[in-house]
Amino acid sequence: MDRSSVESFIREAFASYYHNNTVQSPIAIERREFGFLLFKERMMVRHKTFHIEKDLRSFIESTAPSDVYYSAAYYERPDEDMSRKGWLGADLIFDIDVDHINTPCRVKHAYWICKKCGEIGGGDPPSKCSKCEGEHFREEIWPCKTCMEITKTETRKLIGFLTDDFGFSSSEIKVFFSGHRGYHVHIENEGIGRLDQLARKEIVDYILGTGLKPELHELHETKSGMVVGPDPNDKGWRGKIARGIYDFLASATSRDLEKFKGVERRALEKIINNRDAFMEAWGRASWQDIRGVGIKTWEKISKYALQEQGASIDTVVTTDIHRLIRMPTTLHGKTGFKVVEIPVEDLEDFDPFSGAIAFKGDSMAIYVNWADRFEVRDMVYGPYKKERVKLPQAAAMFLLCKGVAEPTE
Amino acid sequence: MVLSKADIAKYPFTVEAARYVKDLDLRIEDLANRDYDGIINRARERVEEAILYGVVGWNEAPNYDVEIISFPISIVMVLSTESSFLRKRYALAEAKKAYNLLRVEKEDEKLVEIASSSFNWDIKTAVGATRQTYDFALSFINYLENAPSFHDYKWKLVNRFMADGYVFLMKDELARLISEEAMKHVQKRLVGKIRAELPPTLIQAVGSITQLIVTQQETIQAEETPQVMVEEAYPPCIRALNESFHSNQSISHIGRFTLTSFLLNIGLSVEDVVKLFTSATDFDKNLTKYQVEHIAGKRGSGTKYTPPKCETLKTHGLCPGMDDVCKMVKHPLAYYRRKLRQTKAGTVAVKSG
Repeated sequence: MDRSSVESFIREAFASYYHNNTVQSPIAIERREFGFLLFKERMMVRHKTFHIEKDLRSFIESTAPSDVYYSAAYYERPDEDMSRKGWLGADLIFDIDVDHINTPCRVKHAYWICKKCGEIGGGDPPSKCSKCEGEHFREEIWPCKTCMEITKTETRKLIGFLTDDFGFSSSEIKVFFSGHRGYHVHIENEGIGRLDQLARKEIVDYILGTGLKPELHELHETKSGMVVGPDPNDKGWRGKIARGIYDFLASATSRDLEKFKGVERRALEKIINNRDAFMEAWGRASWQDIRGVGIKTWEKISKYALQEQGASIDTVVTTDIHRLIRMPTTLHGKTGFKVVEIPVEDLEDFDPFSGAIAFKGDSMAIYVNWADRFEVRDMVYGPYKKERVKLPQAAAMFLLCKGVAEPTE
Repeated sequence: MVLSKADIAKYPFTVEAARYVKDLDLRIEDLANRDYDGIINRARERVEEAILYGVVGWNEAPNYDVEIISFPISIVMVLSTESSFLRKRYALAEAKKAYNLLRVEKEDEKLVEIASSSFNWDIKTAVGATRQTYDFALSFINYLENAPSFHDYKWKLVNRFMADGYVFLMKDELARLISEEAMKHVQKRLVGKIRAELPPTLIQAVGSITQLIVTQQETIQAEETPQVMVEEAYPPCIRALNESFHSNQSISHIGRFTLTSFLLNIGLSVEDVVKLFTSATDFDKNLTKYQVEHIAGKRGSGTKYTPPKCETLKTHGLCPGMDDVCKMVKHPLAYYRRKLRQTKAGTVAVKSG
């Protein structure tokens, strides 16, 4: 079966999903631009507007798009060209995606699809396709639970920043599973809506710790040569730096020393050897008791420590004030999962491979070209290679959307 | 707290000052009356001080009425010159005056009053709020409306002490932020044209101001950008992008944008850039042409784009690390110009030696 027939099959399934389920439109629907990626010719339709939710719903139901987006921005004339839209403001959006986090296991999940013949294989792409000798490949990463747990940890860190540092209430923070490999966080707040790109860049830098100078957070040397620094109980970056150094002290091995090129080895060895005494002093937030390690060394350690404290958000999504973002409650064309809101307090226990299932129908037979192991609704499937299998609809739709399988007649 | 008449004379951009003037119900034609000569003189002086010294002066015992009323008249004068140079310079000079006075105000409450009533800022005094000693706590949103245009690292949000949505500030820092917002307020009043007929005294003042601008502006010369491409003068970020590009490695969208806009801004034509790109890679020529033309401002909104500044490149992970020249500049194009000057000086030295 060729790809376009597979896509019409998926489209049918999406259409029936949208017929039986209601999507939820964003607030201020009339001020937003909508965009739809259509199955047909993978075409993107942009600059669409809807005045009422009902029209949006019937549009989605009748076209059954692969993916549905709306603008984070509010416009005076959302249906016009970019230059004539009249920007009024935009929600503050964060995207945390496996794509830009170097998770330890991502190399294990790499796979490729030949652009010419559609052949699929695990690992890095070969120089020539074994089937058609094509030389161009699409490189993909298979979604995995470990990676998703890491994005969840980063999302929790982000929420910590938003509540503790930025002072947003938990009712202003909306967390969504993206439907694929990460989480989206939306903040709809009137004050923040007017902030321009430069201001949003400052927010991004704050959350990533970019451009942070430890000496501007109280880490300095007094005139008498004593090193003084922030307190683990401090709010903001001060506490994060202090806690980050503590975490480093607690876990650093002599191998970690090699990460600190250009720092006196002796100072670091002193830290490792006197770890207990240092950590005890830390508990009392008493820098005075920590002697024999110079300010330069502490600066290097704190810079290392702050990398662990920042949250790995995508820098472009947050700073782009015209961005189209995936609409909650719609389906993701690459998985068949739906974009679901997760109450902040439920994030800990959320499992995207069972909490975002849209297709709950009976088993169906499909032919799988290639698939790594995966989990859907607490069941483990795969790996598969060029075989016919019978799977519950959710698992089957997942493989079809991933482009690694086709329905059998 | 309520601002006194002395306060609104010091800070004529406040809502209180605007209300005071409005209640006087002055019309432009009233200014023909010689009683107003003192005020007109002070208004002209404000503008001249702005042109000559970049700051509006303040003496310790002024006539408060003259100070308050001369401000809107200065605005009329600046608008009448129709000089965009003066509009910018005057707003800045009023802001500098405000800064000089605000930073030495004895009462913290006065700064809070100005920021909250004139600008609607969410601000409070911060005594005892933290272990550290700060004077004020300002909502991070209001902070970000002004601070990103300041270049020193201490103004970056990531280097501020922030808790529960508030950025903690010293008095001098809040004074700077208020004066920045004051500048924007003055700028907003400097939009449009004066349609009313001006009385002779005002026309005369505007004439002498225009003269002063001409003599002053001659001292300002625009920096020319050279029209040849000198690869040795590329900053490290552009070099890195250029290399990944030519070795066919994938570059992020923003990376491509940076490289393209850089090349266009150092004098390459759209055709040159397209040729450079398509010959080195297997890019689709038409698509590349479209994108390059867009960045050059020949499509879409017509904006000609410049590359992002260094800080933005850092945010997006495109800064490979700074060299000595980088430390002196904030923008890849500034790097290029500076390096070019150095290289040229070097070449001349070699030749003559």
